[in-house]
Amino acid sequence: MLKTPNKPYTNTLAVMNKMTFYQKEINRIKGICYSNDRQIQTVIGMRNYIENNFDKELNLDLLSHIRFTSKFHLLRLFKKYYGQTPRQYLIDKRITKSKIYLRMGMSVSETCYSVGFESPSSFSTLFKKKIGKTPTDFQKEQFSQSQSKVNS
Amino acid sequence: MKIKVLSIPVQDQEKALKFYTETLGFIKKVDVPLSEENRWLTVVNKEEQDGTEILLEPSPKHFEPAKTYQKALFDAGIPYTQFNVENVQQEYGRLNNLGVEFSVSPTEMGTVKIAVFNDTCGNKIQIVEML
Repeated sequence: MLKTPNKPYTNTLAVMNKMTFYQKEINRIKGICYSNDRQIQTVIGMRNYIENNFDKELNLDLLSHIRFTSKFHLLRLFKKYYGQTPRQYLIDKRITKSKIYLRMGMSVSETCYSVGFESPSSFSTLFKKKIGKTPTDFQKEQFSQSQSKVNS
Repeated sequence: MKIKVLSIPVQDQEKALKFYTETLGFIKKVDVPLSEENRWLTVVNKEEQDGTEILLEPSPKHFEPAKTYQKALFDAGIPYTQFNVENVQQEYGRLNNLGVEFSVSPTEMGTVKIAVFNDTCGNKIQIVEML
């Protein structure tokens, strides 16, 4: 006897018809952009590495050694999937962290070294460029805000 | 120019305020009464109160094309906007327990995980976790 594949097939069709336009699009785009599982695992691994080692110098040689690929290939892959270079991603991560440290009351130079930057003056310049005020002003503002909250 | 306020159209501002604060966990920032029962009503993230505000605007109630557009997006399951979360699965569980209805359960899509829920004010909203 032949097995009838009818039942599961109609079930699949029924599920497909019940799907919204958006759900169908998710599946379609997944198939087009995210079918290379090995590449995805590689870049996710890279991002995790940066997340956990943001305070250290970005070592692409080490990463490419672990992943058995050239570092230029890694760079390209990261940019392809995350839309930013690993360096840009790392800098944003460090700035986000430094805001947390400054809010906690850590000094500017201590913050600078804790997030992995090497020179407080270039940290201040970069911070101002990204956030619109210097770390010192940022910290003052945070402090006065929390003071006014306490007083109100 | 600065990105200070972004808006989400809602059918009922009071109901929206309740959902966006009590269920989603945002807090009310600005509430200015305008004509009739309309308000300039914004919410912000609790930990980032100086961050971008979300304006809960009553456009679908007053402007027919806004209502039509909102409904078309909703029926197609397309999220009006999205919020980032630390952990989609966890947030999905939390919101599910609060009775929030999901049209897309946690789904991995390459380098992100997403889920989509109904905000009860006429929109689908997506939550995203970067993997």
